[in-house]
Amino acid sequence: MFETLRSMISKATAYYADIRYEIKKETKIVFNGKELFHIGSNSTDGFVIRILKDGGLSSIAYTKADDNETAVRIAEENAVLMARYVNSPVKFAKTEVVKDTFLPDIDEDPRHVPIDEKLQLTQNYNSISLKNEKIATTNIQYNEVIREKYFMSTEGTEIREDLVTTSIGGLITSKDGTLTQNVRVAVGGSKGFALLRNQEEEFEKKTVIALDLLNATRVAGGTYNVVLNPDLAGGFTHEAFGHFSEADLIEDSPTMREKMQIGASLGNEVLSITDDPTVPRQLGFYCYDDEGVKARGVPLMKQGVLVGRLHSRRTAAAFGDGLTGHCVAEDYHYAPIVRMGNIFIEPGKNTIENLLAMLDDGLYILDHKGGQTSGENFTFGAQYGYIIKGGTIRNMIRDINISGNLYHTLKNITAIGNDLVLSKTGGCGKGQLNIRSCSGGPHILINNVVIGGM
Amino acid sequence: MEQLLEMVRKVSDKSEIYLVDSRGDSVSFEDAHLKDIEGSIQSGISLRIIKNATLGFAYTKNLMNRKELIQNALDSLKGGVEGLFELPLTSNLPSVDTYDPSIETLTNSAMVEECSRVCEFLSQKIKGQINMSASRTMSRLRIVNSSGTDLSLKSSAYFLHTEILYPYSSASLHRTLVSKTFKKAHDEYLNFLADTYNQSKKEMSPDGRKMNVLFLPETMYVLMWRLQNATSSQSIYQNISPVAEKINKRIFDEKLSIYNDPLNDNLPHARAFDDEGTPCSHFPLVDMGVLKNFYYDLYFATKLKTSPTGHGFKGSVSSKPAPSLGHLCITPGNKSFSDLVKSIDRGIIIAGALGAHSGNIPNGDFSIGVAPGIYVEKGEVVGHLKDVMAAGNIYDILKNVVEIENTLHPCFGGNFPSLLFDNVNVTIKK
Repeated sequence: MFETLRSMISKATAYYADIRYEIKKETKIVFNGKELFHIGSNSTDGFVIRILKDGGLSSIAYTKADDNETAVRIAEENAVLMARYVNSPVKFAKTEVVKDTFLPDIDEDPRHVPIDEKLQLTQNYNSISLKNEKIATTNIQYNEVIREKYFMSTEGTEIREDLVTTSIGGLITSKDGTLTQNVRVAVGGSKGFALLRNQEEEFEKKTVIALDLLNATRVAGGTYNVVLNPDLAGGFTHEAFGHFSEADLIEDSPTMREKMQIGASLGNEVLSITDDPTVPRQLGFYCYDDEGVKARGVPLMKQGVLVGRLHSRRTAAAFGDGLTGHCVAEDYHYAPIVRMGNIFIEPGKNTIENLLAMLDDGLYILDHKGGQTSGENFTFGAQYGYIIKGGTIRNMIRDINISGNLYHTLKNITAIGNDLVLSKTGGCGKGQLNIRSCSGGPHILINNVVIGGM
Repeated sequence: MEQLLEMVRKVSDKSEIYLVDSRGDSVSFEDAHLKDIEGSIQSGISLRIIKNATLGFAYTKNLMNRKELIQNALDSLKGGVEGLFELPLTSNLPSVDTYDPSIETLTNSAMVEECSRVCEFLSQKIKGQINMSASRTMSRLRIVNSSGTDLSLKSSAYFLHTEILYPYSSASLHRTLVSKTFKKAHDEYLNFLADTYNQSKKEMSPDGRKMNVLFLPETMYVLMWRLQNATSSQSIYQNISPVAEKINKRIFDEKLSIYNDPLNDNLPHARAFDDEGTPCSHFPLVDMGVLKNFYYDLYFATKLKTSPTGHGFKGSVSSKPAPSLGHLCITPGNKSFSDLVKSIDRGIIIAGALGAHSGNIPNGDFSIGVAPGIYVEKGEVVGHLKDVMAAGNIYDILKNVVEIENTLHPCFGGNFPSLLFDNVNVTIKK
């Protein structure tokens, strides 16, 4: 393959060019309620070329090898146009020239599991919820995405790496009269098909929560002290803080750069946050990013002080920082952008019982239900929660959305649990979808959080 | 494509081939400076087959290996997905003008110059950060099926998106211009952004409570998303729609009429047929507050023993058609945007929404972070708010529409005016 790519990239006259070719193999099985809605395996492929010429960087994605010469010409023209207008010429931070093949070590390769067996397993998990008459429907999917990537640059780097991602999950919807409630369920990861086996307990647990939500009370809007569970703490870390550790998001925002200066004391001293794509067996694991840079762990916050950022080669040069290997694309439709790998709050010493006792009166809220950030403000949903009185768990609550100011909230995280958990499925949509976006943390205690009630 | 259809006919009872090619370019500016230029040349083919009342599906990027594509579709038959619907024979469709050939000569250089001009114009009026992007796309779609349908479509689109950011934030005032080819951004568009931003520069923190709330067209998707979910034939079939029994009953304020308008070719991406080859038409969803219709694709129409309504659309080549309202409109009202603002004694304008996807959508609930929230007192914009949430249920708040703007604005999710509501729950952190 590299011979073909070498020939394709040789059409470029630029100072620097790289090409990424990917074969993407997808298997999908979808149940809507008890009915099978979709099943199939397919393979597609495509190319992305990036050109750095005269200080201008441009990219083009294309699906036909016959379009290569046109694509190279367009990308070169666009790079020259960029160079005419950019404030300062784009530079790439220097990286090691690598020739490597990295095929991950996985427990049971899904490519070798018959689709009938995948169908049977998905159907078994789906049927767990549907046994109960108050479960109105489900949408449970098996998703398998295998990216076989070939990266080559004019600097001499040649990397072949596979990313294998599998999951079974979706939505369980309960209904009583006109009231519907739903809960997300997901199992999976980057370590192969074996992760998906023996997960009945997770589907049973989420079914019970979907049913209990029918009798939960709506949370009243207001400001509360809260304990977040590890999944929700991870969601907060990703949405509210993590995105502004991505250097490309703050690079051209003078006010965000002013706030996010290395050395700034932004958080409570109990808070330390790291992003590390090299944590083995975790969803966000990879060896090389889509610029051919070897990934490394990056401490982002230490005891409340901002100490690091996540970079592409371009942003590392622009900020004068070291490379981190965090420039990743969804697939062959896209040029890579700066993304988180495995981001998490470092664990502290408190048990969940300690945290609830410290909370005394407030809310214990659990499980991430999508979120969004707009700089210093963030919002994310929680799947369910409980009222806490005198440190004791009381009634279940629903319809919980949390909103806050990043900087105030980082200061208001006053205690950290000892029970770090990382997410098993992801789906960050920063322009492109990253199904391997992994976040986590231990339980955390936050004071003064705005909850939007009905 | 004809060769593929011939090969497929031999191994299936019914078949459909969907082919799309697209070419696109985009330029983006951050802080009023050129940040990126990207190009895309994409193609894709998907195949649906029905054999012994079972549905098979496969897709690929190039027709390099027709046999593999057919084999993947045949393999997917083994799952036993029900395929009881007929593929339509469609011809003699109304003419829609979807392509302006002048898009072909639009250069990236011209889009960069237009963005530079807009940035310069706004920079003279405001001090906030300006981000913007311009893009052009040209696409070609063809659908052929074994019933004899052979439909094709060429589309062109030009988008110009401008946002002015509030300090220390990516919350912005933003608006998109949409057309079938390049159009210079007009003064009214630019002045709306500049004037509203300047009037709302001051950060404020009033008491939160129930108050007037004006959704800009750019945030109407939060409410329409819930309605689309409730009126989808998929929700009806799955028995999770709260309006399943409400056809011809009043569900919203009588000022509110909502319809799908795929034949409107003043905007890009008009469609005379959906992604299954079913004819599209003007489609009332809610007429003067009364629920009129649910929308169907072939699959769910057959499941519910009714006719398809031309709403089977694919999210991408790799997905099967599903019920979708892609051309949603709200009938405009009588008041200008400035008159709407003047009518507010105390309230907020929701100019951006965070977390629209995280509420209980089937139930009609929403609970969004407002970013930015623009604060209005005594009929005038006086500042902007942070740490604000607005929450409610569409079957409550859409019963009390105070006024509707007299102009439609193309934006994410449809072609909408601004809507003013009374008594919406707003939580503001002090």
